[in-house]
Formats: sequence, structure tokens, C-alpha cells
Amino acid sequence: MTIGNPMMYVGAVGLIMIGLFTVLSKRNLIKIIVGLTLLDTGVNVLLIAIGYIHNRTAPIVTRTYTDPTKMVDPIPQALVLTAIVIGLGVTALALALAIRVYGHYKTLDTRKIRGLKW
Amino acid sequence: MVATLLIALPFLGAFLIPLVALANKKASHYIPALVMLSNLGISLALLPQVMRAPIVISLSGWTAPIAINFVVGPLGLGLAILISLVGFLVSVYGVGYIHEEPKEKYHMLVLTLLTGATGMVLTGDIFNLFVFFEILSLSSYALTGYNRDRGGTEAAIKYLIQGSIGSAFILIGIALLYGTTGTLNMADIAAHVAGVDPTLLFMAMSLLIVGFGVEAAIFPLNAWLPDAHSSAPSSVSAILSGIAIETGAYAVARIVYTVFDGHGIMLVLAILGVVTLLLGEMSAFRQKDDIKRLLAYSSIGQMGLIMLAFGIASDAGVFAALFQLVSHTLAKALLFLASGYIIYRVGSKKLSALAGLGRKMPFTGAMISVAVLSLIGVPPFAGFMSKFSIVRAALAQHSASYTGLIVLVLLATVIEVGYFMKLLQIMFFTQAEGEESVKELPLSALIPITILAALIIIIGVYPHMISGLLQQAASGLVERSAYIQTVLGAQ
Repeated sequence: MTIGNPMMYVGAVGLIMIGLFTVLSKRNLIKIIVGLTLLDTGVNVLLIAIGYIHNRTAPIVTRTYTDPTKMVDPIPQALVLTAIVIGLGVTALALALAIRVYGHYKTLDTRKIRGLKW
Repeated sequence: MVATLLIALPFLGAFLIPLVALANKKASHYIPALVMLSNLGISLALLPQVMRAPIVISLSGWTAPIAINFVVGPLGLGLAILISLVGFLVSVYGVGYIHEEPKEKYHMLVLTLLTGATGMVLTGDIFNLFVFFEILSLSSYALTGYNRDRGGTEAAIKYLIQGSIGSAFILIGIALLYGTTGTLNMADIAAHVAGVDPTLLFMAMSLLIVGFGVEAAIFPLNAWLPDAHSSAPSSVSAILSGIAIETGAYAVARIVYTVFDGHGIMLVLAILGVVTLLLGEMSAFRQKDDIKRLLAYSSIGQMGLIMLAFGIASDAGVFAALFQLVSHTLAKALLFLASGYIIYRVGSKKLSALAGLGRKMPFTGAMISVAVLSLIGVPPFAGFMSKFSIVRAALAQHSASYTGLIVLVLLATVIEVGYFMKLLQIMFFTQAEGEESVKELPLSALIPITILAALIIIIGVYPHMISGLLQQAASGLVERSAYIQTVLGAQ
């Protein structure tokens, strides 16, 4: 594992922690969903940081630019593209459900959404 | 290459449904059943070949560690058969059961869910596993809230929030693994883990177990399950309880056994399993209001039992876990399917509303009794063989800790007998309040239920029918060097 700039890892883990904290501590459904997207973004940054190699460019092969030793690892970027699409789907579904929850309960406060019990 | 059809067909079918619905709404509802039937045929036809040697398919012309590959071994194919069988029966049931429009969406989501499940058990690439897992989870979130009622919507959003946190954990685990081993192929990772820093490896494994554990309903991560399984439409509950959580358990087992060779964590897994089992059974015992919630808690208990058996960490243990997985899938799918129409006919989810129902609908009553007795573990049914092999595998370890855990399992079984016998007693020996007669289930529900009940009895009487396949599947999971060789050695 080639550790690049440690600040990138700090940023990624920081975003993940902020996301987790938001999901766990907030009472508003929309804020919880925002927390989920923050969590997703943090994970994506972590993936990119793992594939980053210092002083190299984006892994795009053009006619004049073909040397793979001057590029960063392309696989994490492919993974992140997939993860972003999945995250988009989850967020869209979550917001749709939040709208419907609001329709039923007239509130987004998770303390008052207690139709089901343990 | 035929094996790729197992994943391609359901996906194609899913996206054909809205197109077909434009031309003929009714015809589109039969697509899931058709697709799952052909999947069942394909997987059964592949079985003899796979029993001789696993099929490895590399996509788009690359070779093993670089390409995304599918590994169709006895374990993957056996689970694929189970998924397509239950998927087929539930699709047949769903044609008549689902009333809420737009029905095409329901059928489409069911097919994408089944695609995700089939892909998860067949893939040999860990990121691919994550993608199929997400396909499965997203479809199940949406299906849970399909009826748009108060309970379903609330359960769906709870399920979604907990599931997404789990998915994020899985992705962090994959990122760590990729950072340390530089590969995403599960066999290639397995070949490399021995030389990696154990702390990082442990972190990655814990993250992956926690992530998949949310879907597999392992103890502290299962708060979503009773809500989701009891509020979803009953056909969806049958899929969630019979397929979705089982694939979660498969993923945990694959990660622990094949990828990490995590022998140190097995006892932890077994203890978590027993805690899950006891909590699930005790919560089920105190359920009085809601029959589906009772069944959901019982599912948690059964998942605990499967986890315990996986934690025994021997060929016999994994064999028992897979046997338990099969018998639970059959019995719980039957119970959810039957309870769906019963709730619809009686108009209440309450247990007390079922009074005397066994005499009003004797055939359904008999089928329910078969499933319930199988779950408890009464001899002529499949559940007896699976529970018996779990106990035997645990005692064969000759270790005080596993023997102690088995004592707790037997205690949990007594609790299980308690609430299931109460259910049977209410159904058969309690006088109904009103005298109005209740119709038997319609044919589209009776056929799947009868097939499931017949399978429970046949497997219970002739366990040899599936034990050969399960034995090979178990050794395929435990012997990781053989797995690495089949995937990588072919170059």
C-alpha cells in the first residue's frame, strides 16, 4: 500500500465520521439522508485516495499520451463511478420514501414516526 | 457460457416488463414466473457438469485475476437453484396476490431482486459482489414500501437507512482490501492475504462482516428485519425471508471462509449466532398481535442458527448450515405465502383472528402445520435433518464452548416449540367466534404452497437427494486452496 498524501486519508475518514455522526444523532429524516450521502462521499474519496499516485495524471489514453507509468491507478476510479451511481439511486429512493413518510405522519421527526414498535 | 444466462435472463426480463406492459398489461405479469422457470431449468441442467468440476467464466476476454469472473461451483449453483425455485413459486403467487397498481413495477422489482441474489452467489469478484448486493438491497427497500401504507413506508425507510450504512461499511472494507492486496478477485485476494498486515486485514474483515451482517440479520444489526418483513406485502416477505437474508449469510460465509481464512473469528460468529437465535425466539414468543411479525422474529432466530452452524468451522458444520438454510427457506417461504392470503381473507393480522381457521380451510392448515413442524425440527420433515446435523457437527468438535452453545440452541428450540404450538393450537383447537366460512386459498397460491410442503417432506424423508450437493458445496467453501486453484490455476 503506497501511502500518498496523508491529508487525503484524513479528509476521507473525516467525511465518513461526519456522515456517521449525522445519521446517528440527527432526528430529521432529511438530515439523516444528507448524512448518508456524506458517508458515501467519504468512502468515494477514500477509494480515490487509495488509487492515487503522486505526480501522475488521470488514466486517460489519448493519441499523444499513452504511457501507463505516468498515470494513476484507474480501477478505483471505475469503482467510484459505480459507487456514485449506486449512491444516487439510494438517495433518490430515500428522498421518495421521506416524502411518503411525510405524507403519512405530517412530520419528518424520527421521534414521532413510531407506527411500528420493537 | 450458459451459466451467464442465469444472471442475464432475469435482468433482461426485468427491463422487458415495462415494454411488454405497453402492449399487453396482463402478459407482462407472467414474465417473472417464466424467467425463473427457465433459470431453474438451466441451473438444474448445469448441475451434473458442475458436480464434476466448477465452471469459471471470465467476462470480456480477459483472464482470471484481471477479468470480472463468475465461479459456478456446487455452492453457488445450489443456492442459484434454491433462489430460482423459490423465485418461481413466489412469482406464480404474486400474479394473483398483488392488487396494488402499478403491478408492472412490482414484478420488475422482484426480478431485479432475484438478479441481485443470483449474481451474489455466482460472482467471484468482491466488487461485483457489492454491486449485486446493492441491486438486491435497493429492490428490497422499494418492495418493502410497495403498498404505500403507513407501516410499509416507515419500515422501508428504516431498512434503507440501516442497509445503506452497511453498504458503506462494505465499500470501506473493499477499499482497504484493494489498497493492501491490489486486486478485487476473491480468489486472488485469498491467495495474497497471508502476507498482509493482520491489523488491516482484521479491520477489512470486520467491516465486511458488519456490512453483510446487516442483510444477514446478525444480532445487533437486525432492528430493521421485524418491521420490514411484517410490513411488506406477503409475497415480498417470503422473498426477503427466504432469499435475501440467506444471500447475506452466504456473503458472510464466503468472506470469512474463502477470502480471509478467518479461523480465529469462528467462535465469535458462533456466539453471535446463538445470541441472535435466543433473542429472535424470545421476541417471537411474546408476539400476540401480528402473525407476520412472529414469523419475522422466527426468521431472525433461524438466521442465528445458520450463523452458529457456519461458526462450527468444519465440513460437517458448513454442511449443516447449508442444510438449515435450505429447510428454513422452504418452510418460511411457505408460511409467509400462506399467511398472506389468510390475512387477506380474515381481514386481520392478529393471532386471535386465526381461531378455528385450521378447520375452516383444512388443506392450508395442513400445509402450515408441515412448515411449522419442519421449523421446530420434528422428524419426518426437512427441519429435523438440518437441526440434527447442526447438533451432531457441534458435538463432533469435542470442545466445551460448542457443547455449551448447543445447550442454548436446544433451549431456544423449546421456546420455538412454545410459540409455534400456540399458533397451531389457535388454528386447530380454538373455537371460532363467528360461524362464517372462510374460502380456501386460490389455486395460484395453493400450488406454490403445496410444492413447498412436498419438498419439505421429500427432503425430510430422503435427505440423500440434496446431501451430496450440499456436502460438495460445504467442502468447496471450507477448502479455500482448491477454490483459489480453480479460479487462478487455469491460466
